[in-house]
Amino acid sequence: MRQANKLIAILLAAIMVLALCACGAQTTAATTPAPTASASAVKLAILYEQDDSMKNTYSLLAVNPKAPFKDADGNAVSNVSINTAGAAALINWLLSKEGEDMAASYGKDKYGENLFSLLDGAPVSTAAIPAATDATRNIRMSTTTSVNDSGLLDYLLPKFEQEYGYTVDVYSAGTGKAIANAENGNADLIFVHSKKQEEAFVSDGYSYVLDGFKAERLSYLYNFFVLCGPSDDPAGVKNAASVKDAFKLISDGKYQFVSRGDGSGTHNKEVTLWPEALGITTDAASVANYADWYNYSNAGMGTCLMMANEKGAYILSDKATFLTFVANGGIIDS
Amino acid sequence: MNTALHEAMLMIFSGNRLLGSIIGVTVRMSLASSLTALLLGVPLGVWLGSGRFAARKTLVVLNRTFMGTPPVVCGLLCYLLFSGVGPLRMLKLLYTVRGMVIAQILLITPIVAGMMESCVSSVAPAVRETAGGMGLSGGKTLLLIMNESRYQIISTYLMGLSRALAEVGAVSMVGGAIAYKTNVMTTAIMNYTNMGNFTTSLALGIILFFISLAVNIAVSLLQGRLAI
Repeated sequence: MRQANKLIAILLAAIMVLALCACGAQTTAATTPAPTASASAVKLAILYEQDDSMKNTYSLLAVNPKAPFKDADGNAVSNVSINTAGAAALINWLLSKEGEDMAASYGKDKYGENLFSLLDGAPVSTAAIPAATDATRNIRMSTTTSVNDSGLLDYLLPKFEQEYGYTVDVYSAGTGKAIANAENGNADLIFVHSKKQEEAFVSDGYSYVLDGFKAERLSYLYNFFVLCGPSDDPAGVKNAASVKDAFKLISDGKYQFVSRGDGSGTHNKEVTLWPEALGITTDAASVANYADWYNYSNAGMGTCLMMANEKGAYILSDKATFLTFVANGGIIDS
Repeated sequence: MNTALHEAMLMIFSGNRLLGSIIGVTVRMSLASSLTALLLGVPLGVWLGSGRFAARKTLVVLNRTFMGTPPVVCGLLCYLLFSGVGPLRMLKLLYTVRGMVIAQILLITPIVAGMMESCVSSVAPAVRETAGGMGLSGGKTLLLIMNESRYQIISTYLMGLSRALAEVGAVSMVGGAIAYKTNVMTTAIMNYTNMGNFTTSLALGIILFFISLAVNIAVSLLQGRLAI
């Protein structure tokens, strides 16, 4: 009886493995002729870019250890531990000649163009960077999905970590959540892209001016937001005179549009581009009447790009994420 | 699917460092949380299933409610507790594997207790009658009940372990999916999907499936030995 049980278990396992392999083999046969069949399919493409109002600026902000931290009930909380020395070291390195050159050249070999450019007049640091000590080793960075998903940090941080002995924990979410995470005392610095939210972060006292710098908000990289949509462009946004006109064409014709809807930097940018008469804000209630064409999705950029690709919808994305997404094979002909 | 299978094999056999860390964290977290939950949940379940006290029914209903708690609610609770401004901030548990284990224990213990309770309550009366006839003490009766339900303990453990392996809501909130530190299989699959990298996501899914298969084969063999 004991033997029989063992035998059955092994047999079952073998059958499952075989079934899995068979699955794999079967799909190869099925998918090989697929590309020709879907050659005429519409897929998501960049339709409008390089408008000055589409500039997307990324900033670094150090978290102030003396910030007015509050708990979930709104009571003041003191002695929140923030690794200020580590955050200063990382910011000084990112803004050093070496760090800035690396960031500005990222993506050239993989995508044929750099995903981020250095802002004119970006602060440059020449400060010496201290090696990590036990107290300062672990740096917590809160950043946006676009920075993380583009692979920029995977490219930059190992260099900094190896050279100075720090470890950087990267928490990535939309700018809104990334900032909230820092306001909850869970980050030593933030790396985000939403001017209005950054300024609120500063004016609420959550950031401070680092030694050797002139401002709390250290804006240094930029790229462009791009308006994407189905490549046959039913709304005709390609020929719009400005990006605002392009958005007006979409809303007038009630073409499907996917919004991040998550308070991210991209979401904050998008709501400034619609015709003012529509009254669209980041608040879900403001788009309640447009639910037939405006999809308030509350999801990350990648998820939204997939959604737009499936629905043949228009979408605002940062260029870095869009290019990474396409390069990874995320846009599949439907 | 085929390219994903190919990539999965490539990832396993090329000794990919990121994959190593993801599997390491997943296994460490799942084992730690499911074993602790088993240690806590089995006695609780046996007590709930075999006890004869007034509040038993209330406690059973309460436990069943906890069994159905959405993981994100548990994750949110732990996030608020462990956060930099939360009451337990001095423990520094947010975005650590230890914090994830605690969240998982909170989720899995009621499941273990509930499954044990339903098994024990069906065998307890008969065992108690036999034990009474033999004049055994209360403690020995409990041991006898545990012995009678040893098959169930293993199924229960598997249930807890698969919950720990499969869970994503709580671990992404408490763990933060930080690369090389708290990124587990499920959160990594979410990350790669968000980057449009479906092949790697699928490859990770296949590896997760194989881990689960290996554990289940091992436990089935053990169960086969015990059940006879």
